[in-house]
Amino acid sequence: MDIGLEVRRATARATRAWRQTVTPYVLVAPTLLLLLVFVAWPLVQGIYYSFFQTGIIIDRNIPELTPHYVGAANYLQLVRDPQFIQSLARTTAFSVVTVPLTAAFSLSLALLMKQRFWGVGLMRAITYWPSMVSLIVVGIAWKWLLGYNSGLVNYVLNLLKLPPVPWLINGHLAQLAVMAVAVWAQAGFFMVILIAGLQTIPAELYEVAHIDGARAWSTFWHVTLPLLRPSLLIVVVLSSINAFKIYELVVALTGGGPGLDTVFLVQNIYQVAFRQPQAAGYAAAQSTVLLVVLLLLTAAQLRLGGEAAE
Amino acid sequence: MSLRLGRYGCLVVVALVFVIPVLWVVISSLEPPSEIFSYPPRLIPNHVTLQNYATALAQGNFGVYFLNTTVVSVSATAITVVISVTAGYGLAKFRFPGDTIIFLLIMGTLMVPLQVVLVPMFMTLKSFGLINNLLGIIVPPAATPTGVFLMRQYIRGLPNALLDAARVDGAGEINLLLRVVVPLSLPAIAALTIFSFVWRWNDFLWPFLVISDQDKWTLQLALANYVGQYSINWPSLLAMTTLSMLPMLVVFLAFQRYFVQGFIFSGIKG
Repeated sequence: MDIGLEVRRATARATRAWRQTVTPYVLVAPTLLLLLVFVAWPLVQGIYYSFFQTGIIIDRNIPELTPHYVGAANYLQLVRDPQFIQSLARTTAFSVVTVPLTAAFSLSLALLMKQRFWGVGLMRAITYWPSMVSLIVVGIAWKWLLGYNSGLVNYVLNLLKLPPVPWLINGHLAQLAVMAVAVWAQAGFFMVILIAGLQTIPAELYEVAHIDGARAWSTFWHVTLPLLRPSLLIVVVLSSINAFKIYELVVALTGGGPGLDTVFLVQNIYQVAFRQPQAAGYAAAQSTVLLVVLLLLTAAQLRLGGEAAE
Repeated sequence: MSLRLGRYGCLVVVALVFVIPVLWVVISSLEPPSEIFSYPPRLIPNHVTLQNYATALAQGNFGVYFLNTTVVSVSATAITVVISVTAGYGLAKFRFPGDTIIFLLIMGTLMVPLQVVLVPMFMTLKSFGLINNLLGIIVPPAATPTGVFLMRQYIRGLPNALLDAARVDGAGEINLLLRVVVPLSLPAIAALTIFSFVWRWNDFLWPFLVISDQDKWTLQLALANYVGQYSINWPSLLAMTTLSMLPMLVVFLAFQRYFVQGFIFSGIKG
């Protein structure tokens, strides 16, 4: 019996056990640390400062730059602030219009391109391409297309003997344009999710429906739609989240104009926080409202994701 | 027969709706400035010229923006991939006190996009000296719940027997990660790399919040600034827009299957 060998073996086992214990923490540490410092901490801070009157720059050594506790005043102000109410209403309307349109449009695209046919790869690629470029680029492209005097869209209308349309000049039309472009920009991405969903529906079900003499429409209604429900729900939730986050597209397409007609929540928050004095706390209160909306939508997403994973 | 014709009709319309907006930017950017606003517009320009590109490259700091964007996208993607692989491995193959809470905490940050924390994020970055600093758009957004989730799901599918065999052979944990886990997870790593790079290249909100000096602008920041001016210099802007899309086109052509075959979703659902 070699006692030295036994001791060395025991030490090696202990070292390995210790390594096994520490390793997972070391592995997750960088991600966890970054998320705590740059997501959790700002979140807590944001809620904290929503109860203060403060500017965006804080320095407790300088009286003018020191936050003042104001209780729920910022939240009470929300209700009386037409600019906030309007931006919230606009964002809600934007979501209510674009979400069903996005779902319907991307579903149509998915049905059109789920089968293999000559050129299907190219067609899917073309449809997906807007998701490959930034929303700034999308906005620039459509601003160029929707120009009043020299835009291609008004030229096509002219060919059809229709008068030119002041797309980005009239407030209501600008809102419609932002909605339409938002749907255009994300439809290809959601199409891919829905094609993946369609491919999980067993082909036998379609054969059975066919043998039973079901028409295309009734097959769609009784086979495709119910079985596609999980994927469709994901599309609805993700596009609602996108709708409430809308900002970048507007930056390029309309700049929030004409007037304030296309200013949505995020832009309003940014402008209040960075353009108005002592209003960062108030902007933080507006962010809390957005947070609650996104929280509900994301909770729905995680639940659906869990369902889809099972 | 009529159904098939209808189908092809739809496909043609769809193709036009998705191709023309992008193609029109490219076509217009190749026209001389004098003809760019000509009426009626021409789908095939009379003169094809790179004049607008020369102007755009000469007058602005286009090269600088391109370089900044490349530095940010590449380094941030590298960080994201490394820390997502390690975290995904840790959460997939180890049981340890707190593992569920840590996983839920990471996934919970999905609920807090930058849009919600603009004000406190600015304050936090300011206190770290990261405002107006490229590091401020590289490091803070590098940890992503989706990246961790993708890697965790994929690594969970790797057989434990393989890892145990390597441990019995005396491989240390780092060796195990580099020699066994990483090579077997390459498809997921590739998908994460591509998606992360595309996201960082196209991101506007982080640079918008963090960067103010023009010599630190990214492409998206520059494009947004030029399109936001009262009198837009369309010839240059369209040329810059086209150039900013080129790297994405290369990525897309090279890795198309990752995008249009829903690979990332199969990863998430797997």
